[in-house]
Amino acid sequence: MDDSAKQLLRLIIRRIPSNKLYSTLRKWEHLSKKQFESLDFTQPKWLICDNLLSLCEENDLSAKHVTELELIHRIEQPTQGAWHVCQLIDAQEEALTSDLLQFRESFKLHLKGLISHVAVKIKKHEDDAIWIRIAWGDNFTKPNHLKPTYVVHHLQTPYVFLSGLNVKHKPLLHQALVLATHHESIKDVHLSGRCLTALRDLLMRQYKQVFPVKHPRPLQERSPLLTHPNIENEHAKHAENRLQMASEVFGDGTLPKLETALYKLETRYRGKERGTMGAREEPFRGVVRFSSSNILESLKYCTSSGMAAAPVTPLLSSIVQKGRNYFVITDKGPGLSQTPGPKV
Amino acid sequence: MEPLGNATTTARNQTATPRRSKSYGYSRRSLGVELASRFGTTPGHLTAVRVTTNRGIPKPRNLNDQVDPEHIALLVKKEWKLSYVTPLYQFRHTQLKSYSKQLATFIVTEKQKGVAVEIGAETGFKVVFTALLGLAEGEDAETVFIQIYSKPVFATNGEAAKVVWSGWLSCIAGEADFLRSLPPDFTCLPLFGASGAESLTALVKSWFGKTFDCQFGPLAINSTSLQWLAALWTACNPDVNIRYLKLAWIIPAQPPLDVSYTVHSQDAWELWNSIQQEGGLKDKVDIKEVTRFIRGLESNFFCHFRIHLSAGSLIKVSTSLGSAHQDGKIRISSSDMMRSILSLLTECALLKMPI
Repeated sequence: MDDSAKQLLRLIIRRIPSNKLYSTLRKWEHLSKKQFESLDFTQPKWLICDNLLSLCEENDLSAKHVTELELIHRIEQPTQGAWHVCQLIDAQEEALTSDLLQFRESFKLHLKGLISHVAVKIKKHEDDAIWIRIAWGDNFTKPNHLKPTYVVHHLQTPYVFLSGLNVKHKPLLHQALVLATHHESIKDVHLSGRCLTALRDLLMRQYKQVFPVKHPRPLQERSPLLTHPNIENEHAKHAENRLQMASEVFGDGTLPKLETALYKLETRYRGKERGTMGAREEPFRGVVRFSSSNILESLKYCTSSGMAAAPVTPLLSSIVQKGRNYFVITDKGPGLSQTPGPKV
Repeated sequence: MEPLGNATTTARNQTATPRRSKSYGYSRRSLGVELASRFGTTPGHLTAVRVTTNRGIPKPRNLNDQVDPEHIALLVKKEWKLSYVTPLYQFRHTQLKSYSKQLATFIVTEKQKGVAVEIGAETGFKVVFTALLGLAEGEDAETVFIQIYSKPVFATNGEAAKVVWSGWLSCIAGEADFLRSLPPDFTCLPLFGASGAESLTALVKSWFGKTFDCQFGPLAINSTSLQWLAALWTACNPDVNIRYLKLAWIIPAQPPLDVSYTVHSQDAWELWNSIQQEGGLKDKVDIKEVTRFIRGLESNFFCHFRIHLSAGSLIKVSTSLGSAHQDGKIRISSSDMMRSILSLLTECALLKMPI
């Protein structure tokens, strides 16, 4: 084990919280059962780290094995960084039959064909997701293990989730992904957030949806404190309708967790102060940002409570329907249209 | 201390009576002023200062001619937490040196008493009072700036003491009638800004309270004042480019939803200009115009997102010239509009002051 590998191991151990250390190391399959049992997890971290280092020396492990440990840790902690989503388009026939083994070989081959100094680690997670850790170097430097890129992909789906990717490496990674998954091209879907599972659920519609019904649900039993039954009835009907509408748009139950939504407005002024502004041809430029611990829940609440007027504007429902949270809005013809936005 | 307190109240009660009838002439609610927030802290009392309903458009002036640029630099770029201060009894601008020593001694004593204040080695510890001459106008008292220097605990020998806390007391364009009506022994510096450890802020406040028989209270900036700031900043865009106008609301959804709307400076100004042109008076701004401007922005937002921003509250306004937050935190990024922001805040402080 060389010095850089030792340093990397120390860094990774430092990053893993003490209470997670046991479970993470157990999943790392490079220590024998006896060796693992010899580690005392009640000791301070630095001491565990020292013991672990000597075990690694014993087993003749290298940086490659150490990075696997970080990959395991990252899989356990998917909310550590921001994730961006890309979509693979135009699948070829082989795309449907490719398996992990094929993908692994082909991805590594293509990426290494594009850039010489790169370290790739691929691991399959329990939920069939493929996790890829890439450490980038360039022509003259060794791969930098301190700033790796993470890629998560489910085979046979068009979505790829990326974290920690810089602009320089983007085209390389995109090309390797397109070739390895047998697709024609890849595009940014303008969706980002910290919670990986939420992004996946949103795109794959794995949340509880509500479909329009012709006959509204029967009213629930009201409490006896009625001021006037007709007024109460009327209010309850409205509230029911709003809730139904909000659920149709945003879904029901626990909604996927998105933190932000960003709109770049390049539309004409539509507000009340029409005066000279109404006649103005140029767009009224602005940027609107919604943020909350869960914007879909917040927006649903706004709609169901009446703080947002009915019906829900396509701008907001597009977050769910199109699976995006970045939009550029322009005037095109009479209606409101949304352009795909600049390539990020 | 008792007689001094009585002196304050009687003095101000005398001045309050004639003006009270004046401010009753019209309904405060019709002026777009929230009664609750203006008078919430002092039930049963009325403020002697009138709520302004129109202001002149500030002309950005180069303060560097009147004020030492180094003094301006002290106020710029930091985030200040604001409080109001009641008039100071027997405060003298000529005594600043002695105040520096007194405050330093006070802090050291409090530290020895066991109050948890991190002031480092006592050798490097000092307090400096400076008068920022030239900012004040007319009846205003000159702004006073306070800095607390301290050496870090593990400082090397040659290392100089660093500023660990700074703060100021100011009065810019305070209402002249009110200032004139104060008894001669009182100095009115109603606006207090602090930047640094809260424990030091608390000590400075308690020293001022003991020495000049004054009281401090938190100064929240209500949404009317934030709207004023948004309009005044936008109005001066042709003279100083504000780059953007950013308004932030919080909507009481579950979980709470933050909405920020950043408008391009030129477009914001054109909206403002279209409202101003109908109003007639070019150099004066009326509260009605301010309200229409904000409604104009809110309604454009509504036409896109169908969310009523009025269901929430405006909590922050910012441009490249500075920012102001509802909780009383401000940042001044450029000296261009400094005086007009401070005069607006002085007014807020005078209104908040219990009488």
